[in-house]
Amino acid sequence: MSQEERAQAFVGAFQALRAEVEKVIVGHGEIITHVLTGMFAGGHVLLEGVPGLGKTLLIKTLAEGLELSFSRIQFTPDLMPADIVGTNIIVEDADGRKHFQFQHGPIFAHILLADEINRATPKTQSALLEGMQEGSVTVGGASRPLPAPFFVLATQNPIEMEGTYPLPEAQLDRFLFKLRVRYPALEELNAIIDRTTRSRQVAVHRVMSGPTVLGFRELIREVPIASHVRDLASAIVMATHPQWELAPDVSRRFVRYGASPRGAQALVLGAKVRALAEGRYNVSADDIKALAAPALRHRIILNFEGEAEGVDTDTLIAQIVERVEATSAERKEPFLR
Amino acid sequence: MAHPLPIENLVWQVGRQVRLRRAEHAGVRGAFWGAAVAALVLVFKGPLGALALGLAAGLVAAGTLAGVAWGLARRVGAGDAARVADRAFALDDRVATVLEWAERPDRTPLVDALVADTLARVRALEPRRIVARVLPREARWLPVPAVAGLLLLLSPPVPMPAGGLPDFLPSRGEEEREGRADSTLLEERTRPLAREPLKRAMLEERDFAQRAGASGAASAGDLAAIFKDTSLSGRRPDFNSFLKKGDERLKLLERVDRLPDLQSDFTSTAYKMVFRKSKALTSGLRPDQISPQKLRELLEEMERLGRKGGSWSGEAAEGMEALEGGQTDRALEAMQRALDKMRAMDEAQRSGKGLRGGRERDRGARGRDRGRGEGVGPEDQDFGDFDGLLPGRGRSPTPKGEATSRLRSTPYDAGVEGESRRGRKDGYDTNLTGRGSPMGSRLQYLGVIGQYRKLMEDAITREQIPREYHDQIKGYFQALDER
Repeated sequence: MSQEERAQAFVGAFQALRAEVEKVIVGHGEIITHVLTGMFAGGHVLLEGVPGLGKTLLIKTLAEGLELSFSRIQFTPDLMPADIVGTNIIVEDADGRKHFQFQHGPIFAHILLADEINRATPKTQSALLEGMQEGSVTVGGASRPLPAPFFVLATQNPIEMEGTYPLPEAQLDRFLFKLRVRYPALEELNAIIDRTTRSRQVAVHRVMSGPTVLGFRELIREVPIASHVRDLASAIVMATHPQWELAPDVSRRFVRYGASPRGAQALVLGAKVRALAEGRYNVSADDIKALAAPALRHRIILNFEGEAEGVDTDTLIAQIVERVEATSAERKEPFLR
Repeated sequence: MAHPLPIENLVWQVGRQVRLRRAEHAGVRGAFWGAAVAALVLVFKGPLGALALGLAAGLVAAGTLAGVAWGLARRVGAGDAARVADRAFALDDRVATVLEWAERPDRTPLVDALVADTLARVRALEPRRIVARVLPREARWLPVPAVAGLLLLLSPPVPMPAGGLPDFLPSRGEEEREGRADSTLLEERTRPLAREPLKRAMLEERDFAQRAGASGAASAGDLAAIFKDTSLSGRRPDFNSFLKKGDERLKLLERVDRLPDLQSDFTSTAYKMVFRKSKALTSGLRPDQISPQKLRELLEEMERLGRKGGSWSGEAAEGMEALEGGQTDRALEAMQRALDKMRAMDEAQRSGKGLRGGRERDRGARGRDRGRGEGVGPEDQDFGDFDGLLPGRGRSPTPKGEATSRLRSTPYDAGVEGESRRGRKDGYDTNLTGRGSPMGSRLQYLGVIGQYRKLMEDAITREQIPREYHDQIKGYFQALDER
């Protein structure tokens, strides 16, 4: 199969998977696209939204559409790291001899739904760190690889603060995208009511296997990106740093810490998936701009002034992107803008 | 893999369009500056003659050509042109990516697909102008030098001032007279002005009587003839007598203290004015460095102000005496005392609802005596019947509030309880409660608070307490009074 054919296959598979998810989930088209983008880019996705918007259902449906193992952990304050990664237990064999045997935790699945991740203690949250970054977990001194592809989809509720443990920055940085699930529009709400209050259940077909997903991940990394598009991504990430000499005023005023290099990686990888999903073989500046918010919103830490003035991170990122583009245009002569 | 020809062609065409637009842009700028210089040249049309016209035209042409040449000569990068093409034809950075990746050694197999896709799209494009015309700022102002040049061209030559410095050599004038002897017309026109010997400026006392003549006979050209029939003609102005008699206005000017000081802020008080002057006089100087004259002026000023209704005239007079005796130290001390009194009075005037009540203020002289610290004692304290100061009097007939039950119930807390005492003078006896109650302290609260209040007022008057704290301190004592 030629690369062009593989690329076309990816476009088809992406659209098919999206269509399967949309059979169940009404609206949230952008969220579904970004979740799939995160999965094919090889990252993990954090979904944030108030209860009842279908976050968990979206992830469950996605798992149903893939021929992959799925497990769900409901995070609670008394959840322990061993409840996630597993533990060594003493077992007795047929000869009566006792030995330790590793009992796999729910993390050993292709798709892991970490529901309400901010309800667990930081110690338990950190049990996910190694798995998310390295694709393996260490239990009792032995490192155990997680199945590939390994894809964590976590949810959290932004309004309930009591009894929650906000994710530390290191944990947040492990997520490729942070997506904000908004309330549906009126038409979407009507469609949800119609679809979910009927007796007939919608069947979701499996459209993709694990090896296919891994193959597409390889293909995505081959998508070329022009240097000026890459420079735009770097400039956007750098512009989130208030210390940068060319940082826009909004960053200097409201940001304490900017996005990490992981943010730039997320931006470019996500842009490659987006380009290929649209049937393009190259990354454009529009891809970078479209993914700036989901890739950077959880990597920017506002300063006191930003918090006090209730600055919205998405608005801030939009202003930063606009300023970066304007600055690069100002440097060129009028005919080349 | 080389760049496909259609893509290269597209980039070349876009680059050409950019160069042309740039040449237009630079040509207009060059034309503007050329026209500006040409207009300047046309100003000198008279001396330059026909050469000016040619020079002006040449300058305009040269400026335009130079701009166009510069615009055409500058290269346009292929990457830049590709990006312009991508934006103009909505190719999503395909052309720029192909140009960059097609010949890279680390190109991925997907690049071939990209090249093929881009090629197909570029072939489908219809050629059109994609680079917009950008006019420089100078384009708006181009008519100004053009019209100016045209006007200068059509108008007669601008007259040029004759150059050269006047010749001061005496022999030169004689040579000229000799040289021009044959031309009377020229001599008439250029006759040098008769040189009169310069007179030294002298101050002369003019005697108008002489000029008018004792007999009053008028001579030709005599100004006194104008006044021939008036009484003024024979009067001789006597400025000395005018000055001796003095004009009322001049007298007014002599009295500096009556003149309004237009530079001073009339919202500030006399005390502030004097204080500023004293600071200006004494700041950074030792007593022996202070100007006695200025100190005397200041003391006189203070003495004058004291006479108007203050009580510091004595101190000011004492200071002046000391100054007469050459004792600057003592004069400064007296000035300081007078200043303190001024400040006290100023404070009392500004805080209308001050700690001293209206009745006390009404007492006038007695109040001033107390201000000097005389006869102050618990028995002398008269707290008057004005509102808000005493329990049992005025608007608040009962003591405000009771000591809290916590004070009574907890033996480890110390507190002060009071009870009003009726008599010739109302009082408020205090008892210490709590753990310290066996000490048996019985002080007359109002007597004590009166003393402390007096001390507070003195301290505010005499010591360098920041102005911002004055109200706070007074508020504290006010709160004690209300209690």
